[in-house]
Amino acid sequence: MDIETARKKFTPMSETMLYILMSLVEERHGYGIMQHVKEITDGRIILGAGTIYQTLVKLENGELIKPTEEKDRKKLYIVTDMGKQILLQEKNRIIEIAKNMEGIL
Amino acid sequence: MIKLMSTFIHPVPAEYEEWLENLAQQGYHPNKINHWTSTFLIFKKGEPKKYRYVLDMQPFVKKEYFETYKDFGWEHCGQMSSTYLWRMEYTDERPESFTDTSALKERNRRFVKAISFSFILFVVTFLIIAATFIINRNDCGTAGIVQYTLGLVLSGFITLYLGNVMRKINKFIK
Repeated sequence: MDIETARKKFTPMSETMLYILMSLVEERHGYGIMQHVKEITDGRIILGAGTIYQTLVKLENGELIKPTEEKDRKKLYIVTDMGKQILLQEKNRIIEIAKNMEGIL
Repeated sequence: MIKLMSTFIHPVPAEYEEWLENLAQQGYHPNKINHWTSTFLIFKKGEPKKYRYVLDMQPFVKKEYFETYKDFGWEHCGQMSSTYLWRMEYTDERPESFTDTSALKERNRRFVKAISFSFILFVVTFLIIAATFIINRNDCGTAGIVQYTLGLVLSGFITLYLGNVMRKINKFIK
């Protein structure tokens, strides 16, 4: 998948998918992603198994993440270069939203 | 205890899960989930338990599907064709597998998609029987009329039933 197709398909990204993709800047497995997201959102977002599995399949099919190795029968993933580009684009989008909201609320 | 046609009586995933959870609280637990479960489901009487059941339809699962669920503490009860049944015992908050609306909608859409194949098949069957009857109406005789009527009633009933199931699941999607 090329970057333009990935942009059309994945952006703007849902909060769940964004947090999962963001977690994979470091190599993690499904359960590790849930723990990381729970920690960085102070327990606000607790992802379930079905949500994580579905999202990982989508991200892997879209080549935004790739499997690295299997440890204790757990598959580890990491973000790809294209995934990083999408993350950066999403970061800029969210910064723009935050900026535009300044002074309104 | 044996329950017949359970998935036809409770065809909406969320309702089926709730039905199993209510029975678990009365101490009835499914003995084995397999391809025959839709037709008859045997329950064993045991201790009342607070289980969260989750139905998930996955036409093609990767190996990590099972590992992911198990890591999160879910117990695999079995599968009926491409529908997987999971459960987790809990005390306080009812656990969820699909924790965001879009994931839950996707799960429900997979069920609607699977049902829609059968729905289309029965619509086509109904139309073929109706068309054949119209073409042959003068030559088919009393026995033929009875056969055509039975075919139309049966395929019409199943079509309406499946349409209603899709409508109910779609309510959860919106």
